[in-house]
Amino acid sequence: MVIDFGSFYNFPYEFDKVFHDVFNPHHNRRRKAAYPPLNIGEDEKNIYIRAEVPGIPIEDMEITITAKDLVLRGERKLPEGRYFRQERPSGVFQRIVSINTSIDSDNVTASIKDGILNIVLPKSESSVPKKVDIAIE
Amino acid sequence: MAIENSNERNLEKFSPATDIVESEQGFYMYMDLPGVSRENLDIDLDENKLVVSGKTASPLSEGEKFIDQEFCEGEYKRRFTIADVVDTKNIKANLKNGVLELFLPKMPEIKPRKIKITSD
Repeated sequence: MVIDFGSFYNFPYEFDKVFHDVFNPHHNRRRKAAYPPLNIGEDEKNIYIRAEVPGIPIEDMEITITAKDLVLRGERKLPEGRYFRQERPSGVFQRIVSINTSIDSDNVTASIKDGILNIVLPKSESSVPKKVDIAIE
Repeated sequence: MAIENSNERNLEKFSPATDIVESEQGFYMYMDLPGVSRENLDIDLDENKLVVSGKTASPLSEGEKFIDQEFCEGEYKRRFTIADVVDTKNIKANLKNGVLELFLPKMPEIKPRKIKITSD
């Protein structure tokens, strides 16, 4: 087990994982250490990046696309108060996805539904890689 | 019920991460249920047993194949026992952006009162 001293609080998960790994060694592991968990898929036209970001408004997230990669960063804030139980992760997160195909970075769209962020990256027609930096707010 | 539904396909089961915050008026419960829409969410209350269950939508669109997968479709289910101080008739639930917020108000306390004495 790697102990992560980063600012992102996810101790209950790490703790549960130790037990889970011992008692269910072959069980299909759902979550990895990195937050948020991402699904990356593709079809003929697009690349899809989906992230589980429940409760995080789109204003608290920033998606940056560079020539080679996509950076998703943000902060998850939890309500203040007297906690009886705290299991939900919180804090600042960042994930970087490298894209090996050339994409049409002007037509990238991002939407959020039921706590799942869906980023659609259309593949570009030409094979010439573009070097345009854009930011989606 | 959700248990019967899960027999159709072998769905993975998850226990949703839950926060419980106490305030003067009652308890707030926050539950992470990403991918669960309002139609697929069930909250059952039987006396003091609260069961929250929900199925997530399929993570893939048509003709799409995975490059990398870190989360999958499945079913969330968690059972809670509610304390006696909670007024179970007035529990409120709100699902917003993949987070279920439950408000469990406390019973109005029986306030101490003075007994008036009359004399004839």
